[in-house]
Amino acid sequence: MTEEIIISGFGGQGVLSMGKILAYSGLMEGKEVSWMPAYGPEQRGGTANVTVIVSDERISSPIVSTYDTAIILNQPSLEKFESAVKPGGSLIYDGYGISVPPSRTDINIYEINAMDAAAESGNPKSFNMIVLGGLLKVRPIVTLDNVIKALHKTLPERHHHLIPANEAALRMGMDIILKQ
Amino acid sequence: MENNSSEVLLMKGNEAIAHAAIRCGCDGYFGYPITPQSEILETLAVEKPWETTGMVVLQAESEVASINMIYGGGGCGKRVMTSSSSPGVALMQEGIAYMAGAEIPGLIVNVQRGGPGLGTIQPSQGDYFQATRGGGNGDYYVLVLAPASVQEMADFVDLSFELSFKYRIPAMILSDGVIGQVMEKVVLPPFKPRRTEEEILRECPWASTGRKGGRPVNVITSLELKPEAMEKHNLHLQEKYQLIREREVRYEETLTDDADYLIVAFGSAARIAQKAISIMRAEGIRVGLLRPITLWPFPTQRISELAGRVKGIMSFEINAGQMVEDVCLAVEGRTPVTHYGKMGGIVPTPDELIQALTEKLKIEK
Repeated sequence: MTEEIIISGFGGQGVLSMGKILAYSGLMEGKEVSWMPAYGPEQRGGTANVTVIVSDERISSPIVSTYDTAIILNQPSLEKFESAVKPGGSLIYDGYGISVPPSRTDINIYEINAMDAAAESGNPKSFNMIVLGGLLKVRPIVTLDNVIKALHKTLPERHHHLIPANEAALRMGMDIILKQ
Repeated sequence: MENNSSEVLLMKGNEAIAHAAIRCGCDGYFGYPITPQSEILETLAVEKPWETTGMVVLQAESEVASINMIYGGGGCGKRVMTSSSSPGVALMQEGIAYMAGAEIPGLIVNVQRGGPGLGTIQPSQGDYFQATRGGGNGDYYVLVLAPASVQEMADFVDLSFELSFKYRIPAMILSDGVIGQVMEKVVLPPFKPRRTEEEILRECPWASTGRKGGRPVNVITSLELKPEAMEKHNLHLQEKYQLIREREVRYEETLTDDADYLIVAFGSAARIAQKAISIMRAEGIRVGLLRPITLWPFPTQRISELAGRVKGIMSFEINAGQMVEDVCLAVEGRTPVTHYGKMGGIVPTPDELIQALTEKLKIEK
């Protein structure tokens, strides 16, 4: 199994940290992982993306041009990466701010209204964990247990009291993701 | 960060360099921030090794100051290092030439970005010439190691210091923005203590360690006004370089045994090549990879051997074609040699490499 994933959105949405938690979850599963950010003069509101690869085998290139799964969190990212999803692959997008939805018919398209759900839950910062929960539902490449373990690993101890809230957000994402 | 040496961790290549430095008994780091390698200095600042191993970490006022601090520390027999990215390493070339002339060990890490000049902050391998041809003035080389993974970023720090002190030659880790920024699994090297003053006295009798016991004065300089003496010194350096060429060539081969076509690639380009090779092998095209680990000394002899067995060779580099010159020197016209690469911070994808390889080496599917 090799899953090549692109996560792309605005700077400040938690794109890189979502990728980091996913990569750590893969590590907890005993898999090979790589996390390659599009680093640069990024800023809040600018674009941010990260390539995460989770595999049973040694990962050769951390940079790829097509993806098994794309997680798309804004319109520019959709325009850039919809065509890069492998036929039969998956595209997950948050409908917030998407004016032209994805149109390919040879891939599995899922919508998750995580931005709205995060705002309604009173915890807007849980946005990226809701999206990650949606991913776990449709592409169970890592288990929820290992994501929780990864949160223990990546969050500083002073933030460990937030892990139950993160778990709730992950579960919410699993519930609200919809196949188109 | 846990200190169990066998634990598998996930970190960036830049972070691995910093942790490895602390663990391999590095005495001092002197550097100036620049993307895409600033995590080296940042990680050292977070880890505060001056409170544990006693390693000095100093943000210098410039790259020129950093390299001259390495000159001073290395001249005292200390394991000292600096890191920067391409334009910053360009600024250091004078100091590196002085170190080579004065035979001062030390480690310079270059996490390359696109050039020339200030260029871009995205990955590149455009400093191959600068690293392998000396970069400064005069007849000299630095020993150049090219890591292709976060694990090698960690492993090459101690190796660089060992070789650097063994031959009294500056060592360089030539990485790039991909290997510096990517997070992968890594097992950090076990802790080893910094050398004691007594150990430095014993292992570095040439160093300026303070004149005790009436030994002759150790003068560390690259200046010699008598041409006869300077020629003699140069001949000594050249003998040393020849010894390094004979003993220290390192490389890794992937599927070269039955290869019809050979890719030569180092660092992040070698990773992209590995992916391209696995895709092409699945289509029945027998492509192999030779990955130079030392860029100087270069695996000339091994490439020469392989040249007699393959139909064509591609030097795949993230630049306009630099290492390809060394490949051509090794091949001596016995088989077609071509180059593929991109510039300006654009990293070629495996698919683009496959297309270039198919076209340039006229591979029929």
